[in-house]
Amino acid sequence: MNSPSISGRPHGGDSRSNWQALWKYRHFYLFVSPFFILFAIFGLYPLLFSLFLSFTKWDGITAIHWAGLYNFRLMIHDELLWRSLWNTLVIGVLYIPPMLILAFLFAQILNSQWLKLKSLYRAAFFLPAVTPMVVIAVVFSLIFSSERGVLNYLLLSINHLLPFLHLQPIHWLDSENWSKVSVAILVVWRWTGYNMVLMLAGLQAIPIDYYEAAQLDGATAWQSMRHVTWPLLQPVFRFCLLLSLLGTLYMFDEVFVLTNGGPGTSSTNFGLYLFNLSFTDFKFGYASCVAYSVAIVVFGVSLGINRLNRRNSEVA
Amino acid sequence: MNKATKSYGVFIRLATYLMLTLLAIVFVFPFYWLFTASFKTQAQIFVTPPHWIPSHLMWSNYTDLFQQTNIVRAFFNSVITSAGSVLLSLFLCSLGGFAFAKYPLAPGNNRMFAFVLGTMLIPGAVTLIPTFEILVHIHWINTYWALIVPGAVGAFGIFWMRQYMSANLPDDLLAAARIDGCSEFGIYWRIAVPIAQPALAALGIMNLIGSWNNLMWAFIVLRTPSMYTLPLVIYLMQGEMSTPWGMLMAGGVFTVLPLVIAFLLFQKQFVAGITAGAVKQ
Amino acid sequence: MIQTSKPTRLASFLTLTFVALALAGCTSKSSVNAPPLTTQQAQQPVKGDITVWSWNIAAKALQDIAPSFERANPGTRVHVDLTGAEMQTRFMLSLAADVGAPDVSQLQITDAPHYMATGKLADLTAVAAKYQSDFPASRWAECVMNGHVYAIPWDLGPVAIFYKRNIFSKYHINPASIHTWADYITAGKKIVALSHGRTKMLALGVSGLADMFEIFLQQTHGQVFDDAGRIAIDSPQAKKALDMIREIHNAGITLDINAYGQEWMAGFNDSTLATYPGAVWLGGIIKDSQSKFAGNSTRWGVFRLPAIQRGGVHVANLGGSVLVIPKQCANKAAAWAFVKYALCTAKGQLMQYEKESLYPSFLPALKSHVMDRPDPFFGGQPVGRLFARDVQKIWRINRTANWAEAESYIQQDLSQWAAAGMPHDHLLSTLAVSLHQRLDVPLAPASEINQPAPEVQQ
Repeated sequence: MNSPSISGRPHGGDSRSNWQALWKYRHFYLFVSPFFILFAIFGLYPLLFSLFLSFTKWDGITAIHWAGLYNFRLMIHDELLWRSLWNTLVIGVLYIPPMLILAFLFAQILNSQWLKLKSLYRAAFFLPAVTPMVVIAVVFSLIFSSERGVLNYLLLSINHLLPFLHLQPIHWLDSENWSKVSVAILVVWRWTGYNMVLMLAGLQAIPIDYYEAAQLDGATAWQSMRHVTWPLLQPVFRFCLLLSLLGTLYMFDEVFVLTNGGPGTSSTNFGLYLFNLSFTDFKFGYASCVAYSVAIVVFGVSLGINRLNRRNSEVA
Repeated sequence: MNKATKSYGVFIRLATYLMLTLLAIVFVFPFYWLFTASFKTQAQIFVTPPHWIPSHLMWSNYTDLFQQTNIVRAFFNSVITSAGSVLLSLFLCSLGGFAFAKYPLAPGNNRMFAFVLGTMLIPGAVTLIPTFEILVHIHWINTYWALIVPGAVGAFGIFWMRQYMSANLPDDLLAAARIDGCSEFGIYWRIAVPIAQPALAALGIMNLIGSWNNLMWAFIVLRTPSMYTLPLVIYLMQGEMSTPWGMLMAGGVFTVLPLVIAFLLFQKQFVAGITAGAVKQ
Repeated sequence: MIQTSKPTRLASFLTLTFVALALAGCTSKSSVNAPPLTTQQAQQPVKGDITVWSWNIAAKALQDIAPSFERANPGTRVHVDLTGAEMQTRFMLSLAADVGAPDVSQLQITDAPHYMATGKLADLTAVAAKYQSDFPASRWAECVMNGHVYAIPWDLGPVAIFYKRNIFSKYHINPASIHTWADYITAGKKIVALSHGRTKMLALGVSGLADMFEIFLQQTHGQVFDDAGRIAIDSPQAKKALDMIREIHNAGITLDINAYGQEWMAGFNDSTLATYPGAVWLGGIIKDSQSKFAGNSTRWGVFRLPAIQRGGVHVANLGGSVLVIPKQCANKAAAWAFVKYALCTAKGQLMQYEKESLYPSFLPALKSHVMDRPDPFFGGQPVGRLFARDVQKIWRINRTANWAEAESYIQQDLSQWAAAGMPHDHLLSTLAVSLHQRLDVPLAPASEINQPAPEVQQ
């Protein structure tokens, strides 16, 4: 047989050589197939089924009823949905700034050359991130107990020492005003160490020469932090922020165990709301609709933020 | 002047140590409170002023825990499901990661890998209900499979293993093995896996934390007490009206301890595992 | 050459784990096709273990009667499982998955219709229909859906007024003189005036509004849903119920605290509140709280629910629960035998009443002399008899499958209404429309519900 190039069809024998290439790399396809098989069953199919369910009414047990756009219209009237999104926002605003500031502070200190017992401190701050949330939430419900909790005991003791502060015991979990704060405290405690480790990795990736150069230029510690650390740590910060925002939206264990969304619906975040919609009320159709809509909005928003970020970094 | 800045520096350091230690105590306190409360009676747990140090170690919470609850069975269930999902996920992710890293010429490699990364954007909240329905139909509800298989191959795990193997697995070594007559799976199993051990450790630990602590999915798919895992047993111990706090605390210690011990032993790998997540971006 | 020992060990561990998994996976089999319950079966002797899910006092009551059931039915064993938090949710999950449900489960009466509508509960009609006349008609109706019996009534929640004897005698008020809500308000005003506002008549916080609304709706014979399941809440009866709430609220005799909260409980033992309108089970909560606070001097009594007008009804029901058997139960005969023993015999229900104060809904039990016993806690009053009066006249509320959901929306809208100062506006018409939107249930035609409120007579 002549060489294919002479025949003037550079891709001659196309299908056959394609099959040959596929056969040659059969191991590749075999090795990656588990992912694609499992994704097809537990990812793609659910994604499509969920989309279909968004247009139906279904309790997961009796027959599925086509509902058209009913679910989407329902969302507009669903006060609890909006309330849960609002609560999510409030909880996020309450905990994300203190958490990121603390995490940055810890990372900065743990990154100092002179600090001894580093791994001990790191362990102390990081331990919460590896412990089962359910246990921690149970312990916090003891600590937050309004009549006999340690926290209120401390408040009263401080008030005893410094009466002019007028500290009162707080109904941490029983009051609609404080329940979000309690959740926020728990989340700060739980996730600061995690963010600290991420930032620590970011700090360690900054070449030491940069600081030396800054020092040669006579920069103070504050200036080198402001002009070296801060800009170089921005991507890590942004990542932590994004992770925390998504985490707040879909957070479940923390709220489920500590307050179960209460009192009333004062600490129900979106994750708990969606869980209740799905597995307490068994409104599979409507829950799918809500989950889809929020996921699409979140996707769009993060895409927008990403684009904005890129434009900013291009300008800079 | 030099002296002044030096003593100023010492002062700053001392203050830093003081603050750091104080905060470390705050962060460790809930663990301490959990541990000590597990040795207290119900009354002692709720006494004001609080007993900072238990007057004597009361073991009855632990004996009650072992006699009145399914905690041993739950521990076993937790071990099985966690070990199962960690091992299965390590196996499949490293296999996939190996393939993506080491067969760059396979047609479709890049496009398929991009697809894998794309699946990371799907939030679990959207697929929760259909996944439950699938498990109902294949009769996997109330089995260990329900906790192990659906999340077995994560896109992130594949990405993580691919990156590591691309960087640390020399092509020459693979070529030499092929010449020696080693099968493709043999190359993966005998060469890639041993070399990738640090990456496997980090990924395994991430998965371990996730599966050992899993409450929501366990709540949904585990239906009978004989199948409950530790987090579920702890959660359900909180009765509607009367919670056996001492016993609950003992159960909490029992649940937390394995991970805390593992963490203290393998702190480096834990930190690597968590930092792995940051590469995601 | 290449070190292989580690992966090999790993491999054998993997294999072992999965063998163990496969074995364990086989142990839980669903029994969806468990045979239905027949009358013949119910007459034969039963055997086997049954598991019951229940909570709190109710669970204790079942534990109390289990030994005598086991003695009467040799070869049976009853495991009452206080399975803890979110029991009903987990029960529904088990129904949806056709696996893991107990043989018998407790459900709140208001939630039961939702479970009955799933078609996953055993049809008890063949064996239970004959007990219909042994229960208050309203309660029995709540256990029936489309003509089939799916649940058996357990405890009943007749409502009366719990009052503090010491406060009433201090201000010279005779509870026997309170026949109507107008009398009740007059007495309340007197107490508030004489105590200089320190003692209020009742707590009416946001969370208690739905209960009050339901009491008045029963007293006016109103409905949220009509017999066809359509929304019928925009009715003269419901309007009257709102008027009653407003009248009580505007009389200045209420304290704005939430029912079942800490403050509300604390009120049991001080003189901030003179009365607590509540169902019979509230008595248990009050008694229970007494042991937790030392040295209180409250002496309690009970008087009947005031009527809306003289000669009107003095009864209403709040809460209560039922027992159900899921379709997937493998030993329905034994499960039914236990339910029958616990709920359809005077002996079973009275044992639970005496030990755990679970108030029977089984009418023969209410006829028993046990109900006439004076209760020392309530100053020697035979309160059991007081609550038993006229239970047959309790108005039947149509509980649809979406009742619990509707209730939560009503609660939401009522609290907004209260926050706005309980205006005389179109709460009911907007509530009807919003229920229509949120539940996707049609509105009943105005011509059918807009009849003037009948003078409901005793």
